[in-house]
Amino acid sequence: MPEARVGKEAPDFKSAAYIRGKGFKEVKLSDYRGKWLVLCFYPGDFTFV
Amino acid sequence: MYPELKKLGVDVLSVSTDSKFSHKIWDETELEKMVEGGIPFPMLSDQGGQIGTLYGVYDEDSGTELRGRFIMDPDGVIQAMEVLTPPVGRNTEELLRQVQAFQLVRESGGKEATPSGWTPGEPTLKPSPSMVGKVWEVWKP
Repeated sequence: MPEARVGKEAPDFKSAAYIRGKGFKEVKLSDYRGKWLVLCFYPGDFTFV
Repeated sequence: MYPELKKLGVDVLSVSTDSKFSHKIWDETELEKMVEGGIPFPMLSDQGGQIGTLYGVYDEDSGTELRGRFIMDPDGVIQAMEVLTPPVGRNTEELLRQVQAFQLVRESGGKEATPSGWTPGEPTLKPSPSMVGKVWEVWKP
């Protein structure tokens, strides 16, 4: 069930990530508390739009 | 667009169902040819689509994420979301405009609001009982 709604706290998650210059790290949404954040989903690497 | 967001103190995370290894190769073989220095923000791997499901942007049929974009404030509250089907790309100008509007509203402690089509530098609205019926005096689209 989707939980994300405007005006509500964003559902927390953690994820494997690639960070240029730092390699592979785990990223938690809660690490960004206190900052403005844009979270962007996209269909796939090597696509064109 | 990233430098403009950075200037506004905004961090960025991207998410797809690709592996972190795929992200690295894409960044190193293609993206760094398009963006000087490559991708400057973390690229998250959501294999299985759990995060996308949580945010309502995972498409089970294709096993990929839709183009979902969420703006979160420093309290971790989602202030805006936009979801597009895959063939249409986003407009980063509109993202910047929304971020600036939400930042202004937050800095005003909720005393100001931005009217339809507002862009930075234009007058804001200061909602109050005395303003009811008089918005036309301060805002002419």
